[in-house]
Amino acid sequence: MLCRIAGWLLLIEGFFMVFPALTSLGYGESDSVVFGVTAFATALVGLLLARFSKPQSSHMGKRDGYLLTAMVWVVFSLFGMVPFLFCSRPIGITDSFFEAMSGFTTTGASVLESVDGMSHGIHLWRAMMQWIGGMGIILFTLAVIPMLNHSGGMQMFNAEVTGITHDKIQPRISQTAKSLWLIYFGLTVILVLLLWAGPMSLFDSVCQAFGAVSTGGYTSHSLGIGAWSDSVYIKVVLIIFMFLGGVNFGLIYKCLRGNWRSLRYNDVFRTYVGLILIMLVLFSATIIARGQARTWVDCTIDPLFQIVSTITSTGFTTTNYEAWGPFVLSLTFVMMFFGACAGSTSGGAKIDRILYLFKNAHNELHRCLYPNSILSVKINDRVVNPDLVSKVIAFLCIYMLLIVGGGLALTACGVPLVDSFFSSFSCLSNTGLGAGVTGYGNSYEILPDGAKWILSFQMLIGRLEIFTVLVLFTPAFWRR
Amino acid sequence: MKIVIAGAGEVGSHLAKLLSAEEQDIMLIDSNAERLATLDANYNLMTVEGNPTSFATLREARVGSCDLFIAVTPYESNNIVACSIAKNLGAQTTVARIDSYDFMNPANADHVRHMGVDRVIYPEQVAAEEIITALRRSWIRNWFELHNGQIILAGVKLRQGAPIVGMKLKDFAFTNRHFHVSAIKRNHETIIPRGDDLLNDGDILYFTTTRDHINDLLTLTGKTEHKIKRVLIMGGSKIAVRLVNLGREQFKFKIVESNLEICRKLPQKCPDCEIIHGDARDTDLLADIGASDMDAFVALTDSSETNIFTCLTAKDIGIRKTVADVENIQFISQAENLNIGTVVNKKLLASSTIFQLLLDADSSTSKCLALADAEVAELEVRPGSKITRAPVKDLKLAREMTLAGLIRNGEGMLINGNTLIEPGDHVLVFCLAGALHKVEKLFS
Repeated sequence: MLCRIAGWLLLIEGFFMVFPALTSLGYGESDSVVFGVTAFATALVGLLLARFSKPQSSHMGKRDGYLLTAMVWVVFSLFGMVPFLFCSRPIGITDSFFEAMSGFTTTGASVLESVDGMSHGIHLWRAMMQWIGGMGIILFTLAVIPMLNHSGGMQMFNAEVTGITHDKIQPRISQTAKSLWLIYFGLTVILVLLLWAGPMSLFDSVCQAFGAVSTGGYTSHSLGIGAWSDSVYIKVVLIIFMFLGGVNFGLIYKCLRGNWRSLRYNDVFRTYVGLILIMLVLFSATIIARGQARTWVDCTIDPLFQIVSTITSTGFTTTNYEAWGPFVLSLTFVMMFFGACAGSTSGGAKIDRILYLFKNAHNELHRCLYPNSILSVKINDRVVNPDLVSKVIAFLCIYMLLIVGGGLALTACGVPLVDSFFSSFSCLSNTGLGAGVTGYGNSYEILPDGAKWILSFQMLIGRLEIFTVLVLFTPAFWRR
Repeated sequence: MKIVIAGAGEVGSHLAKLLSAEEQDIMLIDSNAERLATLDANYNLMTVEGNPTSFATLREARVGSCDLFIAVTPYESNNIVACSIAKNLGAQTTVARIDSYDFMNPANADHVRHMGVDRVIYPEQVAAEEIITALRRSWIRNWFELHNGQIILAGVKLRQGAPIVGMKLKDFAFTNRHFHVSAIKRNHETIIPRGDDLLNDGDILYFTTTRDHINDLLTLTGKTEHKIKRVLIMGGSKIAVRLVNLGREQFKFKIVESNLEICRKLPQKCPDCEIIHGDARDTDLLADIGASDMDAFVALTDSSETNIFTCLTAKDIGIRKTVADVENIQFISQAENLNIGTVVNKKLLASSTIFQLLLDADSSTSKCLALADAEVAELEVRPGSKITRAPVKDLKLAREMTLAGLIRNGEGMLINGNTLIEPGDHVLVFCLAGALHKVEKLFS
């Protein structure tokens, strides 16, 4: 069964590759052949797997769900890297895999020193990878393949979708997937139109829109969004859509159905907004205190852009924000750690978990004084099961350990101390920042190959929220 | 179909799993978050935590746009209130599980409908009816009849020595044109047989036949019928009370109940029935009350295991017919293999009622029977439905289903490959679990 589903997924990937191929063809670039052949090969492998693998049973258990989900993300990256290997400006295998994984996991960390001169096909493919990965490969499949509309599909859904609990918004899994993708697709289309209405070409609008809504962070310009930094309009529009990309899509669905009340009573959403506002005050105060505010944009829009871009793990940059000083940088770290709401396209540990952590910590402190009091963690006016709280705390502990572990591994590869830990952190949280903060300049190209593989793995773990990947490495998973 | 189920207890979660496998949209409401969590994580359905009798919860479960609302919480009054609210919010059809005959009484039907309850499920009542059917025909395990017996589906266990053991199905069908073997239950699994399948010793065969030929089945399967008069019941449960009240004219009942409190209340509920305080697992007690002279033993305690084992003991002391209430679905096929005459299960009976509603919005005419891993349904053929387009052999039916018989103009007949089904026919369909939606498509 695993092979057959993987086959269907590859067929879908092959289908997506047709778009960059057509784009390249339209611009008369040689890469159209590369994309065409890759799309064909991917679809062929998919077709063979789907047609000629004989599933022993159509039943899918928890194990199959985890294994398949993790496997699919790797396989997608393996096929997704092929165009980079053979395009007009080819890069090595390690770099290609890193770039593809970074795209699918919406990290947005790039090994390309400068993306200028890449073909339009490559630009579009980088943007599309993020867009597919942002909402989820599996989720897309669930929406389009009716055969997965049973409890096996549920296992895959659980393994892929971010968040502590998995709120369904429709009774059947395929309807949930369809609704989520429809919202996602709608947001993207609106953003493309809005950007296109501003000083951006249609092609750039599409690429930037894919990067923003998926909170990925790849851009089609070597200066990033900085290329349009004098347009306040572009920044504001991007801020809004990155922000939306960080909101729980289930919540957006409820609002679209007219249930605006749920917005006000959603603790996570309120914290998300509150956090952004507090950060804005701190950022602005710092900028003004350092005398760097020349116009009003410098102390409002620019810091807001940077805040939203970081907290949603997009990783777009417009200004040279490291010039704002060490305090702003450390605030950036905090936001990278937090991330936005669960059930969104963003990365990081997710605000939901941080809320659990803080509320639980508060209870523990209270219990020091009143050991017999019964306290519960309450989110959205509902008491949370203590099992869930301990799961969240376990998550956060492993998350920290992974950041440190990844950093250690990078130092072993010869990467400087600060850079190691920061890159590990940036990749695990799927932010992909790192350009200016670390010593190695604009891209991850300079890193040794080993380090790139480690970081690719970190991105995968971060995107699938740790447990899905790590459970594969426990002996209990393989012991029947 | 959009279905909201209130109450994730035994019946509720069973229904939810079953209907979700039938590709229906299921919303499950319960106030116990932990109970919902496992269902939510493992099945293709959506759960809502909250009180099923609150407006807010029911709105959250989108009751207003649902086709079917099923209230199966443990409390009758909660179910009625939930149905009432759901109906007022816009639910198409509401079903409540009830605990007393009061709500089924035709005299009260108008009031019940007025409260917003379209249908009631009373599993204990249905179970009692099942048991009575089983007692009337002691040699049969399942009995399902349509239109006053024009078509009958009977489940019979084959024993060594029956003339048809060892036959190939196609040979059997050739010589016995009045019987259709719709399904075979073999080693915990139900199969829809093909011509080359053998009829083995120990199989439970589901025969479809007409009323005139039902007695030939006795000789074919090598069974003898013996009349049942004296029935020993273990456990004074609700089913027992219903059973005694339904069958007191035909049978003579004795109830053995170990709880003195319950014993004291039983004479009020079950007049002219002997009540004995004691444990029916005790062989001395059984000898004392003359159990070996009984014709049938019905085990209805809350524990499936106790019911199964005491039935085996009853067989040993010479009671020929045994009936057990087995509430754990996974035990049913074990119990059937252990030679327990008839097994009843409240959950399956409740789901039969729901399937009826599913298959036919106006279900006054059709019937449904749920077995552990298969369903039998009677469906009316509408003009223009797919099934009328070709003779049965050219319909390319899915392997999980078979068309057993039909009733045309009030007359029952069996279906073979050349039968052309006409609009207005009532068709008896036997299908394996999870395939009911395929049947539904065929008939629409």
